[in-house]
Amino acid sequence: MSAFVQYLISGIAVGCGFALLAGGLVTIHRVTRVVNFAQGMFAVVGGMTAGSLLARGLPHGAAEAAAVAVTGAVGLAVGLAATGRRGTDARAALIVTLGVGFLAYAVEIMIWGDGPRSHEGIGGAVTLAGAHIQKQSFLVIGVTAAVFALLALFFGRTYLGKALSACASNPYAARAVGIDVVRMGLVAFALGGALGGIAGVLLVPLQPVSYDSDVLLITNGFAAAVLGGLDRPGVALAGALTLGVAEAMVAGYGEASYQTVVALGLMLAIMTWRASRRSALQEEAAR
Amino acid sequence: MTTAARAAVAAVAAVALIVPLLLTESQVSVYVLLLLSATVAIGLSMLMGYAGQVSLGQASFTMIGGYTAALTAVHGAPTWLGLLAAPLAAAAAAAVVGVPLLRLRGHQLAFATLAVQLILLNLVGRQDWTGGDIGLQGVPRLRIAGYEFATEVSYAYLALAALGLVALVTRHIVTSRPGRGLRALATSEVAAASSGVPVAAYKQAVFALSAGFAGLAGGIYAYYIGYVAPGSFPVLLSIEYVVMVVVGGAGTIAGAVAGATAITLLVQLLNDVGTREGMPASAPAVLSYAVYGLLLVLAMLFLPRGLVPSALALRDRRPVPKPRPAESEDRPPAPAPTQRQP
Repeated sequence: MSAFVQYLISGIAVGCGFALLAGGLVTIHRVTRVVNFAQGMFAVVGGMTAGSLLARGLPHGAAEAAAVAVTGAVGLAVGLAATGRRGTDARAALIVTLGVGFLAYAVEIMIWGDGPRSHEGIGGAVTLAGAHIQKQSFLVIGVTAAVFALLALFFGRTYLGKALSACASNPYAARAVGIDVVRMGLVAFALGGALGGIAGVLLVPLQPVSYDSDVLLITNGFAAAVLGGLDRPGVALAGALTLGVAEAMVAGYGEASYQTVVALGLMLAIMTWRASRRSALQEEAAR
Repeated sequence: MTTAARAAVAAVAAVALIVPLLLTESQVSVYVLLLLSATVAIGLSMLMGYAGQVSLGQASFTMIGGYTAALTAVHGAPTWLGLLAAPLAAAAAAAVVGVPLLRLRGHQLAFATLAVQLILLNLVGRQDWTGGDIGLQGVPRLRIAGYEFATEVSYAYLALAALGLVALVTRHIVTSRPGRGLRALATSEVAAASSGVPVAAYKQAVFALSAGFAGLAGGIYAYYIGYVAPGSFPVLLSIEYVVMVVVGGAGTIAGAVAGATAITLLVQLLNDVGTREGMPASAPAVLSYAVYGLLLVLAMLFLPRGLVPSALALRDRRPVPKPRPAESEDRPPAPAPTQRQP
């Protein structure tokens, strides 16, 4: 029982990290139709920046906030590259973000080296129902809950958020009422970058990242996001939590090395199941 | 094919045949890898340019081909049989995987193929019969009808033959009726299907065929290098193929070959620069990542059709047509440019 609780909580914590990544993917895809392959890179950059700033003596909180600001700026830059030039369609933009991800590899290796890095989160652990659980896990869960609540408020209550939602539901109509769709796309990228950064600074104390961890992060984030068709943040959150817990259970009770196989297999199954319910006609009409 | 194009192809073929005799041994090994990459890139180019599908996991089929060749060889089967089995196994795997996967389109297919490769790498790294993470070593040299491919140069000609075969097959497909069907379904699957193109079957066939090309390259690779391991076929290799196709120009054979040549030579050059004395140990990795990234971004933004199609368009545009006098008579005089200015 105590082992189960431990796997459950740590799975939820990791799932929350995936959820933040998936949230960023969904935010960007809703507004710009671009699947941002560089989303995992935001988390890596965020986590490593936070680590460096902490090593320089910045206090906790300030370092993390600065790292998130940095990834927001990085997100803006990725958005400029992927959507700033006229006539870049969504497939070309996907390949552009892939390229940006590789450029980031080069920069990351130059700054931080090619080994895995980690930094201290809030230390210590608590015992719950006989299970030994890191406090950081609770921090991750709490922050993620707060971020998703804020996102809901942002999209539902603020002018900017509503403008973003307008672009998502009908770019043509949004332009007709005077919303700058391209600029909203950049806002979405910056927001996505910040969300990825939050995921990074929260996850790094739990599991060290190296420059190429982004492939696994992005595939997990994508797996969660694709559950809601890349358009529904709520479904993405649910998907991410399921994925995180499923991986933790496989790692705990089965064999740790198969956890990515399970996650990826789940993603493939969900995607093909969803695709079988949508015909080519619907897909092309939605374009 | 025009006479000029024929002459160009003949010239390239002649150069390709002579080149291995002029290079040093280490240069020939680069040449062999270049040819193998080009073989895979032609298949991917057909998949991306004609069928409109992006595969980020093409190296998984290279891997299947390589392991097929290596496994049959280390278990004592004749190596020529292994070379035949390599493309067949890769194509069969693609045909099976393609049934669920090819329902997906665009970014979903891209992620799905990437996921397939990650799963494959993970599984192969854990099995005893595949040698785990260490892989299979001591793969014998290829032997066909008593002739053993032992030297670097012999593999260069073998790879050249494979590339020629693949290019020929691809050319016959794209200029045939199914080829037109493929181009149609890349634009709109619905429109193609309503004109009678068997969309699902064609996509499946192209996917399997491009995998078969990759498998052939993988098989030759296994005999040439002598060992295969999961580390020989990383995700980066799949991305490399995509970079080659994107830079060279998706949907053209010449583009795939040009892209593979350009990228291989560039990476080799950077490797030489990166491993010079005084450079940090991480320099080769940094340089190659930076180049892949920059090339992908720049090619996608500024040369979206790729090197070869853009160059051809530039050549065709150069002779500026003179305005025919008959036209200017019955048209009203064009407004003078000064009128537009405030």
